Amino acid sequence: MNVVPSQNLPSTSIADGEEAIRFILETAREAGATSADALYVSGTEEAVGVRKGEIEKVQAAQSRGIGIRVFAGTRQSSVATHDLSPDHLRTLVARAVAMAQHTADDPYAGLPDRILPPAMDPSKLFPEETHLPSRDELLERALATEKAALSFDARITNSEGAECSRAHSHIVFGNSLGFLHGYRKSSYALSCSVIATSEDQMERDYWYVTGPLWEKTADTEAVGRKAASRTVSRLGARRIKTGTYPVIFDPETARSLIGHFAGAVSGSALYRNATYLKGREGTPVMNAGMTLREDPFISGAPGSRPFDGEGLPTRKKTLVDKGVLQTFLFDTYSARKLGRQSTANAVRSLGDGPGVGISNLIVDPGTSTLEELMKKAGKGLLVTELIGFGVSTVTGDYSRGAFGYWFEDGAILHPVSEITLAGTLDEIYKNIVDRGSDLEIRSSISSPSLLVEGLRIAGE
Amino acid sequence: MPDIVRFFEDRVERSTESLQSALAHVALPSTVDDADLYFEHTVREHYSVEDGMVKKAGQDVSQGVGARIVSGERTGFAFTEEFSPRQIAQALESARRIAQGPGTGRSLAISRPGRPERDLYPVTDLAFDRPVPEKIGILETIDRLCRQESSKVVQVMASLAFEDKTIQIVRSDGQVVVDRIPLTRLNVSVIAQDGANRQTGSFGWGGRTAFSGIISPDRLAHACREAVRQALVNLSAHACPSGTMDVVLGPGWPGILLHEAIGHGLEGDFNRKGTSAFSGRIGQRVASPLCTIVDDGTLPGRRGSLNVDDEGTPTQRTVLIENGILRGYLQDRQNARLMGTRSTGNGRRESYAHPVMPRMTNTVMLPGESDPAEVLASLDRGIYAVNFGGGQVDITSGKFVFSMSEAYYVEKGKILHPIKGATLIGNGPDVLTKVRMVGTDMSLDTGVGTCGKDGQSVPVGVGLPTIRVDGLTVGGTT
Repeated sequence: MNVVPSQNLPSTSIADGEEAIRFILETAREAGATSADALYVSGTEEAVGVRKGEIEKVQAAQSRGIGIRVFAGTRQSSVATHDLSPDHLRTLVARAVAMAQHTADDPYAGLPDRILPPAMDPSKLFPEETHLPSRDELLERALATEKAALSFDARITNSEGAECSRAHSHIVFGNSLGFLHGYRKSSYALSCSVIATSEDQMERDYWYVTGPLWEKTADTEAVGRKAASRTVSRLGARRIKTGTYPVIFDPETARSLIGHFAGAVSGSALYRNATYLKGREGTPVMNAGMTLREDPFISGAPGSRPFDGEGLPTRKKTLVDKGVLQTFLFDTYSARKLGRQSTANAVRSLGDGPGVGISNLIVDPGTSTLEELMKKAGKGLLVTELIGFGVSTVTGDYSRGAFGYWFEDGAILHPVSEITLAGTLDEIYKNIVDRGSDLEIRSSISSPSLLVEGLRIAGE
Repeated sequence: MPDIVRFFEDRVERSTESLQSALAHVALPSTVDDADLYFEHTVREHYSVEDGMVKKAGQDVSQGVGARIVSGERTGFAFTEEFSPRQIAQALESARRIAQGPGTGRSLAISRPGRPERDLYPVTDLAFDRPVPEKIGILETIDRLCRQESSKVVQVMASLAFEDKTIQIVRSDGQVVVDRIPLTRLNVSVIAQDGANRQTGSFGWGGRTAFSGIISPDRLAHACREAVRQALVNLSAHACPSGTMDVVLGPGWPGILLHEAIGHGLEGDFNRKGTSAFSGRIGQRVASPLCTIVDDGTLPGRRGSLNVDDEGTPTQRTVLIENGILRGYLQDRQNARLMGTRSTGNGRRESYAHPVMPRMTNTVMLPGESDPAEVLASLDRGIYAVNFGGGQVDITSGKFVFSMSEAYYVEKGKILHPIKGATLIGNGPDVLTKVRMVGTDMSLDTGVGTCGKDGQSVPVGVGLPTIRVDGLTVGGTT
């Protein structure tokens, strides 16, 4: 059993997720819906923040909500609420059924054709927790982390603080075909952000760890020191001359670069004509060294799930094999619309019907250390932070603000700021000539460092 | 229309125990500077069209009570989604644990709420009361109008969203304020294709105004024309150059420059902690003398406007930069108290489930004296950027970006050709010192902005005249 705090909800609401979904599906049927599905999410969170050695904030949250989709034949509408009282739910479901009478008659809309059991025992998805930390324990780790950061270097002059948090959620999904299953997730995080000063320059950076167990946040010293060393290393940043250079994306920025691919490979984007990858299945879309896998079963990973947002059993798949695009990702709707099969990539949030998304996406690592990547590149930029929104998966155009380090012959020479990186996603992915060995799964998208040849950098 | 003064009373009084007696059990220690309860009930309705069909329609109901205790630099925060006196008192008790010391007997008192003295957004004509087919019809019209504009349009994605938010703020100083806050948003986004070249264009409207004001036939037609025009312009766009260049920004939404370059850096929390590139710089020159910039939450019907902020403080017009000199920060109650000043009515929160922070409302550069045509004509070689996507800033180093979505290459004051979207990067504390000309044509954006900070989104506005900024870094590909 997982250790999960009790919900302690008053009796006026339906406290149990499965019971709430059964009630809603029955209410929808009575209100005239031909089919329906519902997602229930409940969660508790606790966070403690410290700054300059003092407690700064405590936050506690208990929340639960439900998202409902109803069909009148092949017309649909959706509603969501945090009020789980039966009277309110009846009113809202009736409202949804009434709205659905007016939306377009869309022959592809509807639940999946049939229900299947979850791909794995949901209780095996997240590791068993043996300890649920108290608020004081969260506080202790936040304090220790910030202390390690502040004492790391005399140039660390200020702090945005450290935070330690835990979150537990319970997800239940059901539909009128008879699917009704749930799973629980846990997440712990420890983060720290400090400020370094020299002459007239001030720089900030941070570090964090996250994982499904309290143990994941145990090494407070490491998090604090890494936050501080990242920050101090930014001092003395200057611009570089505009030009075309090799660029190494570190694992954090590589994750962001690969994230755009996850958007472009969506079946929804495909039927909307909204992806530069249209018509590219079975052709090279990345460098031949690149293999991308989706794995929904990694124990405790943030995107792990036994079934997708429509209740279909999830499965592992290879998205890009040695550079060649194997498949787009589909939910039931985009699959039907394009004459394909769902790849069990429906994602669902309370406020909206299903869309297409990934569970955990992983770039196969290479064998090079960061130093070897830098040596191979010769002279270039190691990027550690990207800012802004200048990416379009429709056109594939890419232009973002960046921070990083100039390197030559395998060694970092100085930090670099106030520059941009630009190109097209297609060229960038094809120019990934090497990958690091530094893969670590910390997020739903994970990548090792990636070396990209010939990226345009705007600076002086 | 429900009586908003009694709105929450009716909901909480479903229970037998009164809220007042439940709260009386939560004694506040003498170290507490401020405490409040934030009651919220929000209904959102949304419709969207894609592929020629309005296949999505929906409604969300979100409600809860946020409890907050402030003691010096400390904040305790908890929320509940149950309007029950017991749950509300429990949330307050959980937040109270941040403050040290024994309770004094003082507790939060519920008195009869007052409405704000002015009403910047009278709720007269609610979208919720209109029949569903009328709202769906608007999106069908948009789809048709966009496709009529050009045969190159291969996709139209448009959405219509309405929000009706009722709040009540119960403060430890005895004040109780209620407000009802509407928000409407229309967005039109198209994809145009010419051979293998596929480009996007978009246009949006929004504000805290009546349904009929936002959704007039003229506005719909204008939105569709603009979205399609922008996509067609982008179909003929050349690659964007890279490097440091002089840039003329068009009026309106390009004011996102102000929001990123200086607005965030002037928020009270960062300055109280000394983590902003603008910390300790009041009275210093941070912009060219041509620049006067205000944050104004009192503009009637605007997306960023509020009668009172989320702490119950009336919003105001705050001068941030006057003729280039830094004059003031944006404050909520906690940061104002710690900095020995007054709240500027900028304490905002996304919802009951989020704590208050100092945030912008509508951030505007006042008009200057140059003819806008002369501003463009003055550009020897550079970029004329008339529309943007989003932006982001690192408030500590001051580096900020914003991304062009419609821009032109200019030589000797003449527009030569459109260029592809690209990111511009600059340094907040000195970018405005490089403003060479300010036009007379100040205009506010069309009501599309959403600002994100610490994971919280709030609606905001910007305003800008045509301005020329020298030496911005342009993130193109050639």
